[in-house]
Amino acid sequence: MAEEIKTQNSSGVDKGLVAMFIKMSPEQRLKANDNAIRAILELRNAYQRQKNSKCRPKRNN
Amino acid sequence: MHTNAKKTASADLSAIIEGLIKADVKFILVGGLAAVVQGAPVTTIDVDIVYNRSSENVSKLFTFLKSIDAIYRRPDNKIIVPKKEDFSGMRHALFSTRLGPLDVLAFIEQEKTYEDLLKHTVEIEFRGHTFHVLNIKTLIELKKTSKDPKDKQRLPVLEETLRQLENEK
Repeated sequence: MAEEIKTQNSSGVDKGLVAMFIKMSPEQRLKANDNAIRAILELRNAYQRQKNSKCRPKRNN
Repeated sequence: MHTNAKKTASADLSAIIEGLIKADVKFILVGGLAAVVQGAPVTTIDVDIVYNRSSENVSKLFTFLKSIDAIYRRPDNKIIVPKKEDFSGMRHALFSTRLGPLDVLAFIEQEKTYEDLLKHTVEIEFRGHTFHVLNIKTLIELKKTSKDPKDKQRLPVLEETLRQLENEK
């Protein structure tokens, strides 16, 4: 049976994710944050577009 | 003409840091991005800095802010550009810029200024330059006293990051 590895501390923090970030350089960490913001903004824009298109009244031809 | 809404549609926070360094502004990176730089796996959408309030430094900061089209971040879309005298007092100035949101702070929790915080910083090398970042231990201490629920929510991640950093030593 595979050994069970504890991946979260008592507060529910993902210890593996912390370890992964610590291995990066400060520049890589800033870049990861910039990329995350871009992804968030892109997803928000997509959501907004979809919401707006649903609100538009349908035309009867 | 630009608006606040258009300005928040893009962000390059690394470029803000690089710009501040190249403009020779004396500042300390604080807040969420200070935690990111030191290894905390959190995401933040703005840059928070505490600046040195000397007249020479304020001039450099003001020139830099103009170069990135800084305007005050407001709930309405009114465009208000900063004036140099805005930075003479103990005030916070929250901006939208073409590179993303930038909060320019005269002090942070417990009225700690640039001079008070400098001894609690680490020097980080970035794109061939170095800059000061508030160390994670002090960030945790300050967040513990914060009334902002977002700060409290982040505390366990920051504490785990500090624990792993100390184990590495």
